[in-house]
Amino acid sequence: MTQPVNSSSPAGRVLNIQRYCSHDGPGIRTTVFLKGCSLRCKWCANPESIASKPELSYDPKKCTGKKCGLCLKSPFPEGAFYFVDNNDEHVKVNWQLSMDCDEALTSLCPTGALEMFGKLMTVDQVLDEVEKDSSFYRNTGGGITLSGGECMLQPDFSAALLKGAHERGFNTAVETACNVPWPNIEKVLPHVDTMLHDHKLTIPERHKKWTGVGNERILANFKKSYETFPNTEFIARTPLIPGVNAYEEHIRAVLAFIRPHKNVIDYELLPYHRFGLGKYESLGVVYELDDYKTPSDDLVQRLQAIIDEAFGRSGQKAPGEK
Amino acid sequence: MATELGHAGSLRRIAINVGAGYVPGINAVVMGAALAAGKMGWELLGIRDGFEGLLHPERYPDGGLVTLSPQLIENLDPAASGILGQSVRIDPFHVRTINEDQMVEEVDMSDHLLKRLQAEKIDGLISIVGGRGLSILYKLHRKGLNAVCIPRSIENDIAATMVSFGFNSALTVTIEMLDKARQSAQSARKIAVVEVLGEQAGWLALQAGIAVCADAVLIPEIPCDLKMLARRLKDKISPRRPYGLVVVAEGAKFINKPQKEEPTSSLKASLSPLATGEASEHVIRRSGQVAQTVATELQLLIAEETYPLVIGPWVRGGTPTAVDRQLGMAYGVGALQALKAGKNGVMISFVPPEMKFIPLAEAINKVRTVPVDSEFIQIARSLGICLGKEL
Repeated sequence: MTQPVNSSSPAGRVLNIQRYCSHDGPGIRTTVFLKGCSLRCKWCANPESIASKPELSYDPKKCTGKKCGLCLKSPFPEGAFYFVDNNDEHVKVNWQLSMDCDEALTSLCPTGALEMFGKLMTVDQVLDEVEKDSSFYRNTGGGITLSGGECMLQPDFSAALLKGAHERGFNTAVETACNVPWPNIEKVLPHVDTMLHDHKLTIPERHKKWTGVGNERILANFKKSYETFPNTEFIARTPLIPGVNAYEEHIRAVLAFIRPHKNVIDYELLPYHRFGLGKYESLGVVYELDDYKTPSDDLVQRLQAIIDEAFGRSGQKAPGEK
Repeated sequence: MATELGHAGSLRRIAINVGAGYVPGINAVVMGAALAAGKMGWELLGIRDGFEGLLHPERYPDGGLVTLSPQLIENLDPAASGILGQSVRIDPFHVRTINEDQMVEEVDMSDHLLKRLQAEKIDGLISIVGGRGLSILYKLHRKGLNAVCIPRSIENDIAATMVSFGFNSALTVTIEMLDKARQSAQSARKIAVVEVLGEQAGWLALQAGIAVCADAVLIPEIPCDLKMLARRLKDKISPRRPYGLVVVAEGAKFINKPQKEEPTSSLKASLSPLATGEASEHVIRRSGQVAQTVATELQLLIAEETYPLVIGPWVRGGTPTAVDRQLGMAYGVGALQALKAGKNGVMISFVPPEMKFIPLAEAINKVRTVPVDSEFIQIARSLGICLGKEL
């Protein structure tokens, strides 16, 4: 991942390449997280993927504090890092004054406590990394999943990645909220086997409240995608947040939207989890759903039963089970 | 940028705004600044909702700026909600917007903000902000803004000022609530573990704990040994006194606290890097989490029943005390005095009996924590209050 960007291969902003994933499409997969998102969902589990530019992260557990102290001096920005008092084991970050830090600066941190989230990578670089698990894909029907952030915000890069993945024989999937202009989707979807797409909230005003924008265009994009790409498989998903969308009416509204389309093969519930909380701290960002709790298994099972019934399935899936 | 006004000297147009988060006494600050400005013959404008009144004037019937004339101010209720409102975010370097493609993004509007101030002929800004807002104001000052900061911290953790306005009101409410918690614990014959504000500094917990003579006070500055705390509580609780009161600052730290094992999760493994769970130490604290932790751990260590309570955000509202009304007025006047004295890029600091002007560069990145050898700590120990660690 450290080789220079090759100008002959399109490049994109990549957050991370995560191997051995089993929740984002069929089989064992490698998920490529891209930087940049066009929504601001308050429950976001990947806050480091939201900004399109690389951004500073700080892991205090790796910081050796006063034994090092490099970041307190030039060339680091004045006031960006500091100690509150003599008892501090780790430096503290002034997130307002540290925003100008870049990879050249964070590479000076000897312990890796300071890092940049996101780097420019070429299609070939990403695919070479993805290729490492090709035997798993062959055995399990897995492949590559583009996630984010919003992968449709980098349509040329995403399309080239997925096309390249197909050429190497990998199954392809994308995770998207589709809050992008239609031409972006039109560019990417021809190279997608499975599109996992989020139905977060059905009422436009509530969608705006919780994600930053209304859902009119998103729903139009979903519908147009189902109709324009009949051979693509679509899986609808809802991140299930108690008190926001974890109720029967939402599930039934989504089912009413997707069931007329035969290529929407499933509807998955993604129970709200709090695995992303630490990342907010690493970024110096306030987590707005501080007091929210994960949905109970009973609630998830009750809502799952509605979906199973709509899809003509008798058995119940455990939450998160494929 | 000042506009000359004939014989009256120079008429200056100064603006005042308020950062995120309500603190009792904000209106008193605005009143103090407006009355002092009026006395100087200056015009004071209030910017609505942080910087939003300037950045998005079209959203406001009055154009986002309100002239704080003495006539308007003299009828202002110091105990009412802030006249200028507040913004959830006050950072003009990262203003959340929806672009023409209906996508949410954060854009740097700091240059636009400075131009708007210039267009309105405003040549000085007074900002009532907390620690984060202080850094933002410093950045704006480095870009040329003539800025004066009035520190606002309900936890009284801004360095270089002895007392932030709002603290006394918060302390008063906390003491009232702790009294009630103690009566409740007494009747229930249990130990109440009450969480109060104080992420980095334990002033509120310590001073309130002293006032009600709590059995224990846990603050971020003194990491607590829960086993030792349990022993001390065991000694204090008897059939004649079968209850207890433990005050915990929300940022309290612990030594030798057992880390919970997190179950392996394939979902977690599928997430992007640094994914953590609740059990990680590298995680944002939830309101009430510390009280819950202490109550649960104590109950496992002693025979008594415990229960958690959270005062937390209740202290952020309400009527300012007499102290905070006076202090607010004084801070407002102090800001005008700073501008009159030609001070630029300073924070108003109250170091009794004086108001001082501290350069913003010296005010940032400092937290006023409780020194472990402070008078308050000694008083608490003399009262027999357990601070979570042996002497």
